[in-house]
Amino acid sequence: MSGPFLSLIRWQVFRALVVPLALVLATAIALSACTTDDTETSEAADRAAQAAERAADAAQRAAAAAEESGQGGSQADGGSSAQAAQAAGRAADAATDAAQAAGEAASAASQAADRAAQAAQSASAAASRVGQDEQIEDEDPGDLTIYSGRGESLVGPIIERFEELTGIDVRVRYAGTAELAVAILEEGDRSPADVYYAQDAGALAALAENGVLSQLPNDIISSVPAELADASGRWVATSGRARVLVISPDRVPNPPTSVFDLVDPEWRGRVGWAPTNGSFQAFVTAMRQIHGEGATEEWLRGMIANDVRVYPKNSPQVQAVHDGELDIGLVNHYYLIRQTSVDSDWHGVNHFTDPGEAGALINIAGVALLNASDNDGNALRFIRFLLSEEGQTYFREQTFEYPVAAGVSAWPTLVSLDELNPPSLALTSLSDLEGTIALLEEVGALP
Amino acid sequence: MTIFGGTAEFPSRLRFNVPIIWMLALAAAGAACIPLVYLVIRAAEADADAWSKVVADSTLRLLLNTAGLAAAVTAASAALALPIAYLTERTDLPFARVWRTITIMPLAIPSYVGAFAFIIALGPYGSLQDLLAPLGVENIPSIYGFVGAWLTLTLFTFPYLLLVVRAGLRDLDPAIEEAARSLGQSAWGTFWRVTVPQLRVPIAGGSLLVALYVISDFGAVSMMQFDTFTRAIYVRFGSSFDRSSVAVLSLVLVALVALVLAIDWSQRRSAKYHRLGTGAAKTPRLVSLRRFRWPALLGLFVVSAVALLVPIGVLFHWLSVGLQNGETFPGVWSAALNSVYASGLAGAVTVAVSIPIALVVVRRPGFLSRIVDRAAYVGYALPGVIVAFALIFFTLRVTPGLYQTIATLVFAYAVLFLPQAISGVRASMVRVQPGLEEAARSLNRTPWQTFYSITLPLIAPGVLAAFALVFLTTMKELPATLLLAPIEFDTLATTLWGHQEDVFFARASAAALLLLACAALPMMILFGRDRDLRA
Amino acid sequence: MISEPSQPDTTPALVVREISKSFDGTDAVNDVSFQVEQGEILALLGPSGCGKSTTLRVLAGFERPNQGLVQINGETAVGPALWRSPEQRRIGMVAQDFALFPHLSVGENIAFGLPDGHHAWWTKPLRRFRRTEPPTRVRRMLELVGLDGFADRYPHELSGGEAQRVALARALAPQPAAVLLDEPFSNLDQNLRASLRLAMRNILKQANTAAVFVTHDREEALSLADRIAVMRNGRIEQIGAPDDIYYRPETRFIGTFVGDANILPGERVRGGAETELGFVVVVNPAEETAGQAIDVLLRPEQIALRPCRDPGPDCANVISSEYYGHDQVVRVRLQSGKEVEARLRTEVVWQPEDPVDVIVLDDAIAFPR
Repeated sequence: MSGPFLSLIRWQVFRALVVPLALVLATAIALSACTTDDTETSEAADRAAQAAERAADAAQRAAAAAEESGQGGSQADGGSSAQAAQAAGRAADAATDAAQAAGEAASAASQAADRAAQAAQSASAAASRVGQDEQIEDEDPGDLTIYSGRGESLVGPIIERFEELTGIDVRVRYAGTAELAVAILEEGDRSPADVYYAQDAGALAALAENGVLSQLPNDIISSVPAELADASGRWVATSGRARVLVISPDRVPNPPTSVFDLVDPEWRGRVGWAPTNGSFQAFVTAMRQIHGEGATEEWLRGMIANDVRVYPKNSPQVQAVHDGELDIGLVNHYYLIRQTSVDSDWHGVNHFTDPGEAGALINIAGVALLNASDNDGNALRFIRFLLSEEGQTYFREQTFEYPVAAGVSAWPTLVSLDELNPPSLALTSLSDLEGTIALLEEVGALP
Repeated sequence: MTIFGGTAEFPSRLRFNVPIIWMLALAAAGAACIPLVYLVIRAAEADADAWSKVVADSTLRLLLNTAGLAAAVTAASAALALPIAYLTERTDLPFARVWRTITIMPLAIPSYVGAFAFIIALGPYGSLQDLLAPLGVENIPSIYGFVGAWLTLTLFTFPYLLLVVRAGLRDLDPAIEEAARSLGQSAWGTFWRVTVPQLRVPIAGGSLLVALYVISDFGAVSMMQFDTFTRAIYVRFGSSFDRSSVAVLSLVLVALVALVLAIDWSQRRSAKYHRLGTGAAKTPRLVSLRRFRWPALLGLFVVSAVALLVPIGVLFHWLSVGLQNGETFPGVWSAALNSVYASGLAGAVTVAVSIPIALVVVRRPGFLSRIVDRAAYVGYALPGVIVAFALIFFTLRVTPGLYQTIATLVFAYAVLFLPQAISGVRASMVRVQPGLEEAARSLNRTPWQTFYSITLPLIAPGVLAAFALVFLTTMKELPATLLLAPIEFDTLATTLWGHQEDVFFARASAAALLLLACAALPMMILFGRDRDLRA
Repeated sequence: MISEPSQPDTTPALVVREISKSFDGTDAVNDVSFQVEQGEILALLGPSGCGKSTTLRVLAGFERPNQGLVQINGETAVGPALWRSPEQRRIGMVAQDFALFPHLSVGENIAFGLPDGHHAWWTKPLRRFRRTEPPTRVRRMLELVGLDGFADRYPHELSGGEAQRVALARALAPQPAAVLLDEPFSNLDQNLRASLRLAMRNILKQANTAAVFVTHDREEALSLADRIAVMRNGRIEQIGAPDDIYYRPETRFIGTFVGDANILPGERVRGGAETELGFVVVVNPAEETAGQAIDVLLRPEQIALRPCRDPGPDCANVISSEYYGHDQVVRVRLQSGKEVEARLRTEVVWQPEDPVDVIVLDDAIAFPR
């Protein structure tokens, strides 16, 4: 019997652990219960709670203002400032009541919130009557929820900047573009998200087709070239990326001018691709659209026959070219610039193939507004900000992508968007991923 | 309120009553089956096209790939775990105690980090080739594909088996091995003909954990570009956004899992629960390694070096590159806190949920308790992202208020990692003789009091071990965390993923190293000593 | 042998009526009835699988009988439409392996069944700083079992005999109506058993608690119990005082099970039986069946040997002799080839091949053939 139980030391370790653990558990349950209260109760209660919160905020500000005014006003008009402070105090009390009541019943809460809001208004009115020049913001800028398929390192800074400028509380869920798209479909009307920020047009088009996206206003759609937005205005590009060949200038002195040349025996075993990568699949879709199914299949089979090397995504190809493992990689333009911008000795150059072919495809990252959003104003504000000069400059300078709006020009070492003269192709047609996947599966490029 | 099934009715057979313990166990098993229900609902919406795809050749190839990889990884894990367990437990290996800790540490490394490190270190034109180049080695075999996936998954999952086998080894009566030696068997012959057969049940339990992990893994197979079911599922929804078609594909995976579980079931049919031994466990005489001492040490060193030094080395390399470039690591500490918080909760909740199941399996063996036990494996064997979709579906319909809260996240972790907790708790439960519980009952304690004052403290070691294992696995979990965590609740795993995705390797390395440290700590405390898991 | 209850209370401590229990259609216990008086020690003796342990578990409340009645101190614990769970029964239990709680000290083990005897286990580190004396009751129990000063030890620090006494003290501490002991000596060293038996009997008698213990060891039953119930195939074959059971077994099975026995074929005659050893007085004469072929049971100590008065083919011969010091067991082959065993004092040491006469010293018992 004794075997494992002999070691009383360990037993004490357990006892030392179990009490704090139980505490942590209890706290967590309490916390989650608290945090979920507002979502659990009905929408009315929700609104009431929000109103109460705003009221409490306003009341607090009013109280602060009153206090300050009290200090300032003691020299001038002690009576009225004291009055204001009293009013502010009342307002704060009322607001606290409202916040408490909100948890209990919607109607009581909204009444209390109304009272609180009235009290707060009268308080702020009283405070402003004192004649000081404090600015009191009546409007809470509110919040915004974004599902971002683009990484935090890429878009985090520009979102932060947006928060800074507007005071809007932005919350972002970062995950894979495809996972988020499926999650949004699964959430349906109940989605907490306002904005979907996708890494590629395919996912946007899929959501548009499933009818979960809202129409964007004309000014947004028209701020980008027509081919970089949904024809029916349900999504818009925010930045672009070009398909390029990343090549080793040493080992590839005469790079091919077309992706179709890559099936030549000269390149046997020297070229890499990433067939599971969204950008690559978009490129194949484009190839099917421009050059036809037959030519695409022939090319794919030719590549496989030519011992194309398979990579999980784009960046390892850039790495592989640098490491000497690979001579040519089918990638997007910015992976290389990202490396060269920190390491000038990085080996590899971007090579643009003939314009007008699928190899010169410009793919985009884009945003859309969800039907489920009850926060259209802030969502549109965010989308407009991304398309503003500041937003576009950010994409050029920080993520090395192609700006798409506001007249911001491309990164110096890149061929400009106009010169690139990408294949004339509606980006929505890239949503036919199913066909591309089927083709890739058929030729054996995908499982 | 009864927990062991006694009620105040007589005769009992005439009344239908479900003791609370069964209700809890069935509820836990039912929760673990939520993803399955989701898949069935979604698959029911699928058109004929989606089903016809299942019959395609590619499905057969995927099945063979997945089953083959699972079998190969399990076999290799057993081949590693058995000798390592024996060396560290039964021989005079130098620093055996240190090796005991080191050999389970690979568990702390997420498979996607390990695979990434292997590609960098062992891939073509990688560090290994650079090292070999002066020796005239021009080409080393490609690590991509089956070999890479197999190597990665073996090295980072074999400790699941090791933990279980090692504990089983401790439970063996050394007298039987001594008898074999006295009958003229060599040490090797004794190990092979007496020890290993006696370890059949732990080996089966550990193999199940390994095999199902392999089936559900996405990180390693996607990095190594080996086409398994899980990878195909990702590709499918990433390209078609068609949930029904994904569900159909996932159901085929479930069928494969059911097959694995059935194999395990038949393996364990003769398994006997609660040992009857009463005397203090005898300390076995250590086998002297003599001239095998150095080869054994070398072998252990090689395994540890590949499984630990290579990934850690690569991570430190990236980290130092980043530090030289003046890289900062924003948010990594709060992510660590979040990771520890969520994993701690997940550990506590999962273990709590696993206790009724373990009680039922050990104290009420039978068909139903086996079904309950098997059902718990469903969530574990499915890709995390499917479990996440299932919980989005259910949470928004049943408890919308809890959607994207820590409660849902922890629930998802419990669904995903319940079997790990069960194996730990059950192992210690098996060692608690029912006589102790009966003694407490005869001393005027109710069943609840008995559980609380006798069973719970006695299974504490197993509970702690189970907690540590779930904690550890949760730290590494990615797909469910990305979708189900409260918004802006960054964990080390999601931070690591984000930075790796965006090619900020230094930041990714910082998060990965921190994750390793957080995961390693409980392991060192718990498993480094004598505390282990039993299956 | 039956001790007088020191209390005037004459309610039986335990009443068992017609208990039956079957597992999957197989009868484990079949129509078992008995009664245990206050302060009495009853042994359930029988070979393994005879249902004695199941009976004990029914009394303790760990098994539900298919039918029957159990009363404890006059209160019904099992009856039609009534089932009290173990914790409601005031029954103490000493398990075969003693089932001491390994995570509790001896004092805590004993205090476990007392109403205020337990603290939440996780408060133990806190209590460490405020060490308290074990409760009076615990100290008294430790004194009773002769383990004063053991309160702070842990079960793994105890010898087998000490563990047994702690288990007994723990079972007795809440002053149960009866204590049940399941093979209490089977986990102990053979040479410890005799002394521990006496110690246990003394403890039980001092505590004046009724006890039922289960054993397959006849010596244990004979030396420890006030009364013995011999069980076989789920039924009680005989209940009686040890000497009744030993010298007046009601069935041949009991006769051979509770002691070494020589079985000799014979023929019923008036007042006894005619056997190869001559006329033997039997304690259960049944004259009306004279002439019936019977078997006669003689204990080895009921036989004596002496050197053959008339050496020749009519003498019996010693086959073997086992010498134990205090006595010897000698095997003898009778003229017919039948072998008998005699347990003798050791003034004379017999050697193989010694020709002997076999003498019956005592009344035998007869069973129909």
